[in-house]
Amino acid sequence: MEPILKVEHMEKYYGSRGSVTKAVDDISFEVRAGEFVGIMGASGSGKTTLLNCLSTIDAVTAGHIYLEERDITCLKSGQLSAFRRRKLGFIFQDFNLLDTLTAYENIALALTIVRTPASEIDVRVRQVAKELEIGDILEKYPYEISGGQKQRVACARAIVTKPTLILADEPTGALDSKSSRMLLESLETLNKNLLATILMVTHDAFTASYCRRILFLRDGKIFNEIVRGDNTRKQFFSRIIEVQTLLGGDNSNVL
Amino acid sequence: MFFKLVFKNVTKSMRDYTIYFLTLLFGVCLFYMFNSIDAQTSLLKLSEDRRDLSQTLIRTMDYISVFISVVLGFLVVYANGFLMKRRKHELGVYMVLGMPKSKISILITLETFLIGMVSLAAGLVLGVFASQGMSVVTARLFEADMTSFRFIFSQSAFRKTLLYFGIIFLVVILFNVLSVSRVKLISLLNAGRKNQKFHIRRLWVSVLVFLLSVACLAAAYRMVIKSGLSSSTPWFTASIVLGCAGTLLFFLSLSGLLLRAVQSNRKLYFRNLNMFVLRQFHSKINTTFVSVSVICLMLFFTISALSVGIGVSGSLSADLKETTPFDASLEYFYHAYDADKQIRSLAQQLKNDGIDLDRYAERCGQVTCYVLTNGKENNIGIGSLMCKDDAGQLPEEQMDAMPLTVISLSDCNRLLSLQGKPPVSLGKSQYAVFCNYQKLMPLYNRFLRRGGSFSYGGKTLVPARDTILEEALLDMSTKSNSGTLIVPDSFLRLPGVEIESEILNIQYRQDVSDAEFLQVLDHVYTKEARARHAVSRPYDYYNTKVGLYRRASGNAAIGSYLTLYVGLVFLIAAAAVLALQQLSEASDNTERYGLLRRLGAEDTMVNHALFLQIALYFLLPLLLAVVHSAVGIHVATSELNLSGLDVRQSSFITAIIILVVYGAYFLATYFGSKNMIRQKEIYRR
Repeated sequence: MEPILKVEHMEKYYGSRGSVTKAVDDISFEVRAGEFVGIMGASGSGKTTLLNCLSTIDAVTAGHIYLEERDITCLKSGQLSAFRRRKLGFIFQDFNLLDTLTAYENIALALTIVRTPASEIDVRVRQVAKELEIGDILEKYPYEISGGQKQRVACARAIVTKPTLILADEPTGALDSKSSRMLLESLETLNKNLLATILMVTHDAFTASYCRRILFLRDGKIFNEIVRGDNTRKQFFSRIIEVQTLLGGDNSNVL
Repeated sequence: MFFKLVFKNVTKSMRDYTIYFLTLLFGVCLFYMFNSIDAQTSLLKLSEDRRDLSQTLIRTMDYISVFISVVLGFLVVYANGFLMKRRKHELGVYMVLGMPKSKISILITLETFLIGMVSLAAGLVLGVFASQGMSVVTARLFEADMTSFRFIFSQSAFRKTLLYFGIIFLVVILFNVLSVSRVKLISLLNAGRKNQKFHIRRLWVSVLVFLLSVACLAAAYRMVIKSGLSSSTPWFTASIVLGCAGTLLFFLSLSGLLLRAVQSNRKLYFRNLNMFVLRQFHSKINTTFVSVSVICLMLFFTISALSVGIGVSGSLSADLKETTPFDASLEYFYHAYDADKQIRSLAQQLKNDGIDLDRYAERCGQVTCYVLTNGKENNIGIGSLMCKDDAGQLPEEQMDAMPLTVISLSDCNRLLSLQGKPPVSLGKSQYAVFCNYQKLMPLYNRFLRRGGSFSYGGKTLVPARDTILEEALLDMSTKSNSGTLIVPDSFLRLPGVEIESEILNIQYRQDVSDAEFLQVLDHVYTKEARARHAVSRPYDYYNTKVGLYRRASGNAAIGSYLTLYVGLVFLIAAAAVLALQQLSEASDNTERYGLLRRLGAEDTMVNHALFLQIALYFLLPLLLAVVHSAVGIHVATSELNLSGLDVRQSSFITAIIILVVYGAYFLATYFGSKNMIRQKEIYRR
């Protein structure tokens, strides 16, 4: 299958001439359509910077990012927001639901931003809600529902516009373990049933074990990559832990 | 370091809350300007009546200023509350760093003091310069020549401003210290993260409350239209109470209703960010409906006060053209102790005292007024010239008992010819009616059209014409001739007809000025001479055309000055509260608008939503206030009974004032909020 996301020699430097921090240092990778990719790494490894650059919230210092063969590093600011709303879906750690809107309206908001006809909105919101099992809380306000439900509403909002790529930034970061599991299962369903391409950033091994492929970042570089293949989730989880142990260790221990 | 912190905070607050400081500045400036009128007038050479006028103005200004300072005080305390709320997190950080509460209190006190000093100083400087410009207007108002420009500084206004605003800032400091001493650290640090609950009322509740509010308002309008502005009836008070309640309920239910109404039209609701804007509006109106209602009422006051206040000044002089047909009028009332109630010639008496009227008057004419006694305490009233069933239509109760003035046909025609008007002719048993009091005219006309007859002393008169003549007997400031009966001369010889007063109307010769004539009168009938009973005036009072014009313009000027003062302060206060509310909300909204951007909403879309949200807050209270004002102005104008009162022009001026001041605050709020959202966005990167 064709890669829908292609990152080529991407670099992101912070700071001025005197002291440069290489947050992302020459990273290249590809994501194919329908993949569920995880990006792992400790704090300061450049995960969030990478995600910000992918989501066009931040600009790269060097290199190129192609989404469906279009170089998004060359887009003008006007095109950026158009690109963002058509091609990307976001899931944030702290849900970022609008507290003034009901769950239904939060999902519909993403559709109104892309100017979906009103007649279509209801069908699509209900369809996604059914898929994520939040049909019965649609009329509730964010303060009335649990964290897990909130995050699933956020998932619904991300997927409802049928984006090319869903970017999830620590989606389980603010959830308890049960809610986390339910959410991750939801993401898995989205990935399998709706063929959504998901790129998830996390530092939690359990969360990452739901992915099909994981990239490990350290100090702004890709350190390792593992693919789940035919492994059960438990096996995959052990492999992740192994890599993490390596990551945490000294450089001399690396193969 | 401590003082550095104070200075940094103050400059930062000034940048963030430009609107707050500008409002303080303008408040101080206006306060000084209008209170410095005494200094402005003291340098002018004023005539005696102008001097009285300026004294009245200064005294009124004193009272009003107390009221104004209370309004401004509330505004400052309220606005300061917003500032403090915004800084909760900052205070929390100070406490975490180990700064004791007492020290934070001192910090806040110093900051408030500094802010107060800066705005007071800047406002006073602005006020002193603005009052120079205002003194030119004041001079023209009092018809004094500004022969030479002199820099005016009013010490009393300066002291007063310092005192009043000093008290206001002292109260603010107390408030701040109190709020610091009562806070808990955890709530300060979590100030940014609050779980606000939104009580969404059910649709039928919203509809019910809305209908109730409309009913309240409708009832209030009806009552006030029917009862007028007289505070003696309970209806007027009731209409005010109902009006306030209606306004409150209106804003309580409006957002919910608006939300539901738009929701039912899915196309509209899901277009652009309409859904978001309406929800934003709805989420806050629940906490702000009280302030929005108060703002609406303040705007209502401002609009009606300015429209009517400015309008009256124009109408008075318009009416005066008709109410002052003569150059001068003298009137003498016969007293109970006047032994012989015989017609006395005022001209002759003046001549006896050495004033030869022929030297001053081109023409003059005397009118003798009579009343008809009926053996009872009250004489025959004007009600005898009205249909019985019209009694309920009278502008005031028992007005029909007001004594009817009667004059003879020959006096009437002398009066008319003096004005160059054609004479009236009456048959032997006919009568005619003079009246120019607007509200009574239709009542007389109906009686005349029906051929209503008038009987007295065994004689019956029938109307000679089917309409009244819109005439005055003498120069007056308003159209207040409530009814004069014109009868054949012989009628007045009937028993029971009693002489009441003499009126001498004069048209000056071309080379005689009003001042000249009055000077002669004053010269002969000096106060001292009259006190010594050396002379007695053959008249009780005089009205002159020039004098009435001047008095009217003076009164109108005072009215305009006061309404402008109060109106401007109210307008600024209302707009400032709205603006501050919106700006302080903008910090909460930053998150929300930032999220919209991240979801891919374009800048134009986001800005449009922000504009719409702020516009809703500014427009809705204004709209209701305009409706209130339309009713208020209608009632006030019909009450004032000024036929020449045309509020269209003054409403237009008011609209421009509102547009400029309110519009400026609106735009400042919009651009301020836009910047706040943008700044946070950049900062986040």
